Amino acid sequence: MEKTVEVLNVSKSFNGQPVVKGISFDIAPGEIFGLIGPNGAGKTTIIRMLLDIIRPDSGEIKILGSGQPEETKDIIGYLPEERGLYRRLTVIDSLLYLGALKNSQSKKRALELLERMEMLQHKDKKLSELSKGMQQKIQLIAAICHDPHLIILDEPFSGLDPVNMKLVKEMILELGKEGKTILISTHMMDQVERMCGRIFMMHRGGGVLYGSVGEIKSRFGKNTVFLEFEGELKNIHGVKRSNLSGNYAELILEDGADTQEVLKALARDVRISRFEVSSPSLNEIFIKVVEA
Amino acid sequence: MTKWITIAKHEFAYNVRRKQFLFMTFGLPLIMFAIIGLPILLGASGIGPQDITIGYVDKTGTFEGNFTRYAGEEHAKNDLLNGKITHFFVIPADYRSTGKIYIFSKKSRTLGSIEGEIRTFLLDNLLKGDNKDLVERVKNPIQSEYFTLNEKGESGKEDISRLLVSFAFAIFFMLSIFTSSNYLLQGVVEEKENRVMEILLSSVSHRELLTGKIFGLGAVGLTQVLIWQAISIAVLSSGPVALLLKGISISIPLLIFASGYFILGYLVFACIMAGVGAVATTSREGQQIAGIFTITGAMPLMMSQLILSKPDSIITMIFSYFPLTSPITMIMRISTGGAQYYEVVLSLLILTVSILVVLELAVRIFRASLLMYGKKPTIPELIKYVR
Repeated sequence: MEKTVEVLNVSKSFNGQPVVKGISFDIAPGEIFGLIGPNGAGKTTIIRMLLDIIRPDSGEIKILGSGQPEETKDIIGYLPEERGLYRRLTVIDSLLYLGALKNSQSKKRALELLERMEMLQHKDKKLSELSKGMQQKIQLIAAICHDPHLIILDEPFSGLDPVNMKLVKEMILELGKEGKTILISTHMMDQVERMCGRIFMMHRGGGVLYGSVGEIKSRFGKNTVFLEFEGELKNIHGVKRSNLSGNYAELILEDGADTQEVLKALARDVRISRFEVSSPSLNEIFIKVVEA
Repeated sequence: MTKWITIAKHEFAYNVRRKQFLFMTFGLPLIMFAIIGLPILLGASGIGPQDITIGYVDKTGTFEGNFTRYAGEEHAKNDLLNGKITHFFVIPADYRSTGKIYIFSKKSRTLGSIEGEIRTFLLDNLLKGDNKDLVERVKNPIQSEYFTLNEKGESGKEDISRLLVSFAFAIFFMLSIFTSSNYLLQGVVEEKENRVMEILLSSVSHRELLTGKIFGLGAVGLTQVLIWQAISIAVLSSGPVALLLKGISISIPLLIFASGYFILGYLVFACIMAGVGAVATTSREGQQIAGIFTITGAMPLMMSQLILSKPDSIITMIFSYFPLTSPITMIMRISTGGAQYYEVVLSLLILTVSILVVLELAVRIFRASLLMYGKKPTIPELIKYVR
């Protein structure tokens, strides 16, 4: 089947500084794809090149088999990382204007989506009267209002509270079920772990990992313990490193360490309410790959 | 592709609803009226000519006329203080050799019309006994009419109204450019600041976006200037200036040329402003760069003397073809009958080509410098972009 997105050996530099270095990946139709990496890895630059906002110095980009950006702009939906809308325009006017620019202005769909995102009662308010989270939801609606085939979301979860985060996640998964191809770019790697089928992980302009999430994780083995506890965690024999956050910890075990010995050792120091042996998180995998 | 029309419509509708636009469009004429009109109105309601009564004290004993004559200054002063007269003047004994007189009034006020009346009074007395026609001539020695000779020696009556037309065109043109360039700069720079640009560019090409902006924002500036013009015509035609305007006849061909030069010249500037907006990081910075271009555009106005008197000089030639200066220069020359047809055709052609070239350059610069938030490209970088 024809790929929805094909990126072939693409490079881009700004003022002599390479930002993207010879990157290749592709996205199949109907796939939820994760483009992940820390801030400054070059994710947004790749996205801008996909949208023909800037052009690569070398390499080739094809969207739906076409190298002609004018042909494909109408069927791409884009949520930029830098959020911005006309502050003095009402919600519904903004959506209609942006729809018209995609040659697909539908008030009906705009209203449906506003209802779906619990924003219908704000439709006649100016953007400047809305909270940041609300504005972000409006931008997401603007990105999908023209029923695009390919949806590109740059940091879709930044600045959202848990309720809206859930709403946006559900929306993305629903769009995925409808058969849309979705590219999610984020530095919050754990956010996309459970949503994306495949990922492309970037570091300093280069690709470091590429493949399905499950395959990548199994490649790194079950050497991680997720722990919830009360008390004070001390150095445990067999634990190489631990990421602590309050009463929760991610323990990375040394190669060959016995999880049962670790559990016994832990039980001596703290009260354990959860002990789960698992693959490392994408965050952990990223750190491991970068340090290697 | 008609997306640029959608953008132009949106830009127009979005910007004419700005408070700033409404204030500038309707508030500015009001303020101007307050500054210029009110003092005139107030002045007119004060002492008019009929309220002036002038007295005089003549120490030479030879002056007489329809002013109240006083034997001495004391008497005149009393009447002035009592309000019987508003002014009086003293003609000293040595007046004929010095020309000095002393004018007294209760309040300090401009003396223009009073001096005029006194002057007539003095002239009538000084030339007493001379021929009446001679007296009239001395009072008003020049009644001028100008003629210009062409190569064949035919003379044509010089029409001041033609000059007025070209100056009116020049001022209208400059005003339009100044106002619109503001809107264009702001429109492009602001969009860079509020980051809507990226969404727009995921839907339309750089060229469509810039074209839409040039037409939409250009129309905003033009609307403003047209409203100003309508207001000023309404105000002027109700006053004594209407008489002056009646004397001006504008021929139809001149009107067509003027519209043509206006629209083309305007678009050249609009494209330049859009390009400047793409480079500038703030609108103030943009205005500084834009100033260079608008001053260039105003050059023919400053050098109108040279252009009109020496149509064959190199500077006139350059100004006639250079796209930033040609609209004003050519209209000046056409309205005074000093331009050849081939010159008109050539300059219009250059203007049209310039629009396309400048738009293309602006698009390229726009494209290259767009997403470098907060960083101004250097001149070598700019040259690299446009290649």
